Amino acid sequence: MPAGRPGPAAQSARRPPRPLSSLWSPLLLCVLGVPRGGSGAHTAVISPQDPTLLIGSSLQATCSIHGDTPGATAEGLYWTLNGRRLPSELSHLLNTSTLALALANLNGSRQQSGDNLVCHAQDGSILAGSCLYVGLPPEKPFNISCWSRNMKDLTCRWTPGTRGETFLHTNYSLKYKLRWYGQDNTCEEYHTVGPHSCHIPKDLALFTPYEIWVEATNRLGSARSDVLTLDVLDVVTTDPPPDVHVSRVGGLEDQLSVRWVSPPALKDFLFQAKYQIRYRVEDSVDWKVVDDVSNQTSCRLAGLKPGTVYFVQVRCNPFGIYGSKKAGIWSEWSHPTAASTPRSERPGPGGGVCEPRGGEPSSGPVRRELKQFLGWLKKHAYCSNLSFRLYDQWRAWMQKSHKTRNQHRTRGSCPRADGARREVLPDKL
Amino acid sequence: MSQREGSLEDPQADSPVSFLPHLEAKIRQTHNLARLLTKYAEQLLEEYVQQQGDPFGLPGFSPPRLSLAGLSGPSPSHMGLPLSERLRQDAAALDALPGLLDAVRRRQAELNPSSPRLLRNLEDAARQARALGVAVETVLAALGSAARGPGPEPAATTALSTANNAAGIFSAKVLGLHVCGLYGEWVNRTEGDLSQLVPGDVA
Repeated sequence: MPAGRPGPAAQSARRPPRPLSSLWSPLLLCVLGVPRGGSGAHTAVISPQDPTLLIGSSLQATCSIHGDTPGATAEGLYWTLNGRRLPSELSHLLNTSTLALALANLNGSRQQSGDNLVCHAQDGSILAGSCLYVGLPPEKPFNISCWSRNMKDLTCRWTPGTRGETFLHTNYSLKYKLRWYGQDNTCEEYHTVGPHSCHIPKDLALFTPYEIWVEATNRLGSARSDVLTLDVLDVVTTDPPPDVHVSRVGGLEDQLSVRWVSPPALKDFLFQAKYQIRYRVEDSVDWKVVDDVSNQTSCRLAGLKPGTVYFVQVRCNPFGIYGSKKAGIWSEWSHPTAASTPRSERPGPGGGVCEPRGGEPSSGPVRRELKQFLGWLKKHAYCSNLSFRLYDQWRAWMQKSHKTRNQHRTRGSCPRADGARREVLPDKL
Repeated sequence: MSQREGSLEDPQADSPVSFLPHLEAKIRQTHNLARLLTKYAEQLLEEYVQQQGDPFGLPGFSPPRLSLAGLSGPSPSHMGLPLSERLRQDAAALDALPGLLDAVRRRQAELNPSSPRLLRNLEDAARQARALGVAVETVLAALGSAARGPGPEPAATTALSTANNAAGIFSAKVLGLHVCGLYGEWVNRTEGDLSQLVPGDVA
């Protein structure tokens, strides 16, 4: 809006003035108008009453006295806005009973209940008041995102607009309807996950798309977001995996075993669930994330520092639920669970990866050691059923005995090479 | 007039009446409630003026003094009345206040919808005023005094609601300020009147 002209909503400024005294019911009239100080029994009315204006616009207002005392005059009256006296050059006498005010380039309202424009008598007493609402119309809300917890509800949040503050109370209403039929529904539980959010707790259909949008309204206008179309099944999240346990792997100083349970709410449906693990050293803020744990409920962290406390968390993504093709939404992380690796005099390896049971070691020094071990086995024994467990046992034995890697001992069901002397490793590692 | 009523009328003349223990406990409880609500009323007023914006919270702010038919503040002559009459007036005012506070809350829900604390405080004040009023009436009944004289006209609340909705917003803010002020004045007055009944606290 160009400066100097009131906005369209200032039509309210043209409402006929209502004397303050006529606003009260007859029951109250008889007890009003107690004179204060030397002001006499004056009443006054400000026009316009409670106008709504765009930021930067101007306002012409008047304070008209309706006095019973002969000689009541607007001489000496003055204005305040939010308690601050306005410069006298902004006002002038229109006639003997009316003081006019001209405000230009208005700023946004200081409080949502409106700026208080007050007309005062010469002695400072209040004759009349009017509340100004100065702001901006709402912008189009955007960036709507929704998620469903265990397919039971739907929570959505949005961004109100790039401009930010409207200086007016702006009401946001989340609407939704089934795409192919049904009536518009209005979400009722607001501010559940922030100021611009709403929660639909029940009665949601699956396997059929919803249309969702947000309507923003204030005194200066309204705006509507684009429509988001989604199927509840495509935006499912779940609870963090419960019962996360972290424990040592025997005496292995660089490994910890992590076990958890499928989130119970969806445990019968999580055929393709993905899990993620993150862990950090106790006094660090840097998390390391293990991806692609896939659909299993245990994992082993390797390459850890010996004698160190680790915090571990797990989260779940129920993707593919009921055949959904969408990526799914990760749950919150589980509560941190702590455990420590065994202490050793020798410094252990620094990094860490998750090694699924029965799988190949991922990388780094573990792989190199395993290669050496396997190479040694091939040379000294005929083992058709080499197992990772066997490797673990060997490593533990290595650490315990403080010997070099090229030891000539082994254990297990592997058949011995001819002439080789068999020695048994201890059961407990 | 019974000895009890006689001492209620003039508690300072003779030694305190030996009330039944449960009545003593009730009086203490009601007095403590009034003292607590006096503090809450101050907080309500602070919250209210803050949400209306300046000049409502500024020192020296004195809008036109409005009286609501059927309920005004304690009169200057209140302290000169017999204690039973004072308590009756306290009870009557506390009976009228919940409706007025509700009307203010409804208006403030339109003016300050994003101020949940103010709205909650107004709702709590209505409930608390009702509770204190009932407690004072119970004490009066136990003391053998009629609980209520000519009560406030129910139309006062209706009139407030009508006026509130029809009035300009500034006037509605001023009305609400007065109701919050009345609430504070009456709970404070009730606390003072009850203190004269509390055993051991008689001046």
